[in-house]
Amino acid sequence: MQTAMKQAERADCEPTLTDTDVVEFCKQGFLMLEGVVPDEINQRVLDFVDANGHIPIRGEDWFVEHVLLNREAAGAVRSLIGANFAVPIGVANHRIKCPMPAQEWHQDGGSRVGPAVNNLQVFYYPQDAPPELGPTEVLPGSHHLASHQRWMQHYGSVRGTVHTAAPAGSIFITAYPIWHRRSKSTAQGMRNMLKYCYWRMEPPRRDWIVDPDFDFAMAPYALDGTLRHWSQFRDWYEAAEMFFWLCGDPGKMTEAVGGTGWPIGHPPPRMGEQIYPPVGFRRFPEHG
Amino acid sequence: MGTSDLIKGRIEQCVEALQRRELTEADLRAVTDLLDDSKPQRQDLLYMQSSGTGLATEAYGLNMLVDGEIVEPASPDEWPYKSPLEAVRDGWRIIDFPNLALLMDESKTYGLGCEFILERLR
Repeated sequence: MQTAMKQAERADCEPTLTDTDVVEFCKQGFLMLEGVVPDEINQRVLDFVDANGHIPIRGEDWFVEHVLLNREAAGAVRSLIGANFAVPIGVANHRIKCPMPAQEWHQDGGSRVGPAVNNLQVFYYPQDAPPELGPTEVLPGSHHLASHQRWMQHYGSVRGTVHTAAPAGSIFITAYPIWHRRSKSTAQGMRNMLKYCYWRMEPPRRDWIVDPDFDFAMAPYALDGTLRHWSQFRDWYEAAEMFFWLCGDPGKMTEAVGGTGWPIGHPPPRMGEQIYPPVGFRRFPEHG
Repeated sequence: MGTSDLIKGRIEQCVEALQRRELTEADLRAVTDLLDDSKPQRQDLLYMQSSGTGLATEAYGLNMLVDGEIVEPASPDEWPYKSPLEAVRDGWRIIDFPNLALLMDESKTYGLGCEFILERLR
């Protein structure tokens, strides 16, 4: 039988993220690893793409070893999408000649908003990416915001965004639907940014670095309280739902708040306030 | 001096001529000539996404079209207005209120939520 799908190369390694790190990813939608690729590899990448373009670099063993399977990056990927994950099949280079105006806000095509994390989109800067060279700007938590890609183009300055300005060798891992754009650049020069996807091959389960004292209900799922892109408590709910999905145990949502589905009917558990449901509380059906 | 100021000035002259009983058809024609010469007005736009449907709610997204150019303030610290109400007080007119149909679906949070679109003519 003929198929267009390519056989994936799989990899495994030790997970490097803890429960708290995974919660942080669930609420922010991205994770920055600064300067994790050595300088000599970064320079080799730049020389290679200058000479050959970006497409053949995926076939270079040194690139796979030091970038795609970089210890810190692969450890985080392994934590989020499980063992035996599929290594990126292709690599794109978002190479721009600066200065350039800011790009339009967008979610990448095919984005599916929800608790599942079945793939990860990863960005790698082989060169320094200061604010003047238009690093990617992301909106924390926006991987939980549904929107039509074509209905976002009129958005401009948004409160709470993060510029991923970072030194050469930095890799940041994102939830695929996160809102992002190339920020405005003011300097002269070329900016290279390589982008690629890892794929889940195993069902989700809590096999990252487990903290035996981790409190599922009281973990800090809510975003910074100054951001109001969501209805009250919705950010808490979305991040918690994603975390429990990653644990492979969506039933933990019922343990934490008495049921599943939004709205939950009451405030979520919150540290230091007596407004959370008591242990054993269940939402009983409204009908029958 | 803008066209409207010129027209106002010319009408004032007509009123004075009328009071002196010296107003002529030519004086009035001169006013209509000014109207014919007036250029079409340009529309400025202000998009504001806010945390609620109230006019005084805090904006958390902003973009502008000013004199035919898209102008995006670099950061929220540079936004000219903190709420739709502040913009209205400065002469902007609301031409689109948050689309409540999008806000009724509780199953998803759509876009940046409550969006006001305002205009100003120049």
